[in-house]
Amino acid sequence: MIEVVNIKPHGKYAGVYLVELEDGSVKLATKNLSPGRRVYGERLYLYEGVEYREWNPYRSKLAGALLKGIEGLVLSPGSKVLYLGAGSGTTPSHVSDLIGEEGSLYAVEFAPRVIRDLLRVCEDRRNMVPILNDARFPQRYSHIVPLVDVLYADVAQPEQAAIVNMNAKYFLRGNGHLYLAIKSRSIDVTKEPDEVYKSEIETLVRGGFDVEDVVHLDPFDKDHAMVLARYKG
Amino acid sequence: MLVLKVVALDTLVGSLIGDEEGNVLVKSLSPSTNINELVERALKLEDGEVTEDFIKSLRELVNTYGDQVEVVVTDDGHARAASALNIKATVSPENSALRRLRNTLITTLISEGVVKSEGEWVSFLNQVMIQATRIKLRGFAAKRDLLAIQAIRSIDDIDKTINLFASRMREWYSVHFPELDDLIEDHKLYATVVYEFGSRDGLSVEGLRKLGFSEGKAQRIYDVSRRSMGADLSEVDVERIRDFVGVILNLYDLRDKLSEYLSQVMKEAAPNITELVGPTLGARLLSLAGSLEDLAKMPASTIQVLGAEKALFRALRTGGRPPKHGVLFQHPEIHVAPKWQRGKIARAVATKLAIAAKADYFTGRFVADKLKKDLQDRIAEIKELYAKPPAKPAPAPEKAKRPERPPFRRGRRGRGGR
Repeated sequence: MIEVVNIKPHGKYAGVYLVELEDGSVKLATKNLSPGRRVYGERLYLYEGVEYREWNPYRSKLAGALLKGIEGLVLSPGSKVLYLGAGSGTTPSHVSDLIGEEGSLYAVEFAPRVIRDLLRVCEDRRNMVPILNDARFPQRYSHIVPLVDVLYADVAQPEQAAIVNMNAKYFLRGNGHLYLAIKSRSIDVTKEPDEVYKSEIETLVRGGFDVEDVVHLDPFDKDHAMVLARYKG
Repeated sequence: MLVLKVVALDTLVGSLIGDEEGNVLVKSLSPSTNINELVERALKLEDGEVTEDFIKSLRELVNTYGDQVEVVVTDDGHARAASALNIKATVSPENSALRRLRNTLITTLISEGVVKSEGEWVSFLNQVMIQATRIKLRGFAAKRDLLAIQAIRSIDDIDKTINLFASRMREWYSVHFPELDDLIEDHKLYATVVYEFGSRDGLSVEGLRKLGFSEGKAQRIYDVSRRSMGADLSEVDVERIRDFVGVILNLYDLRDKLSEYLSQVMKEAAPNITELVGPTLGARLLSLAGSLEDLAKMPASTIQVLGAEKALFRALRTGGRPPKHGVLFQHPEIHVAPKWQRGKIARAVATKLAIAAKADYFTGRFVADKLKKDLQDRIAEIKELYAKPPAKPAPAPEKAKRPERPPFRRGRRGRGGR
């Protein structure tokens, strides 16, 4: 274990910590909800009896968005989250840390390959509910998912904004928030990223969202942006 | 007549019907704590099927409020179920009353005493959905194993074809440049040289260097080419050889692609087996067994000798020594081990494989980390305990004595799997 000099709360984002290491670098981290367990080979830090997990911005777009200073972290202990495109569970595990035992995270993923990893994460974290299903058909999981406070979407599909709108109609409460990771190259490789962001944001506005902030994830992810929006519902 | 407008929700633990304000009018909950039962319901609901609770609560609705009701539901399946009871139904999952009702589910469950808290409900859902997801995954894997089997067989066919074509290529090109046959042993490299340069007059030291030859080797090939005793060929002759060699190189490409695909598919179809013995050997075992299901139902002793059927049946017939391993020989721990350890290691590998196959097929759980560790420990133990070859046994029994044994001795093998 690498020697930690100091761990202090992030001034802007509650629940996120800054880890100062011996070599002078500073890393993002969250409190580990399942101590002793790693999810994607990240470093664990023990400080004053509490275990923290390093949050790698190159692996998790949400961490990248925080480092790029996105306006607000809308996840707090007790939040209910619907997560579309949970993948192998890298970012969801940190969301799970942030919302704590009282929170709930409904993790939707459709690729059988990665869901195995996701299941292992869910086994350690009782606040996560895995759902192997297609986010394009929200009725297929509407018997499990309640109204949620936050919709997190990282689906990298050409019609992702439409998927988000549909899921919001089903599950996102009024004034609930949306994080949308836009991978411009998955939507239209021929267009400039900024054009893609613009048209996706227009779709969100038509679906009843107020966009609060957009940050580019460069250099952590090229041609990616994270949108934070509020649902008028 | 006044029409009552309601919304109806079908959930994992029962059905709720509410008015337009989202107040619960009728509820039919089956708060079973039997996870398997709930998993079954979850899978049904995901397929758009209707639960009995839903029908029950609709009936109750009609009994209490008359059939002049209009119900809003989440999907077509539930609309059809309502229509079957002569209830007018519309599908509108984003209906605000329905959204509200969805949100009251958890509070209803708590007030009904089904769960004590929201946290308890979520951790319950967590268990149900992990199980349900495993079952769905198994459905995917069951089909993927057949793809893996076809892929490994294709790779084996390609290997045979490459060998056949490569010897043809060497003979053919040797008419023109016979010395090259001895200079380059690797088929692929040989093919690349022929394809890149065509006629031996086209060879250059620099060009050979680019293909990855060392300075000395490139120079030697070049020197030999200048004084080759091969026949001169016309451009057309060389072109046809190149066409043929091109096919060989394409086959190599195809093989690479297939083996990458194979490891992908194997990770999906049988992650435990793949982790334990790698995608290639894993696929071979599936191929010999016929399917993941068949392999999962085999005892370790059968897995140990898969691929050595001929030797096994000969041993059973004659009462001789049974084979130590079949295709498992390809496992690096086995073929690098000294002879007298191989059987023991093969047995250890086979037992872990039997568990891995069962986990892959029946539970979908990932247990390979532990299996792998146990296996390594056991192999280390074998290496330590049997570091030296066993003492030579007493002189072998005379061959003439053999026929005294019964010709078939099923169930008991002469000397046990050594």
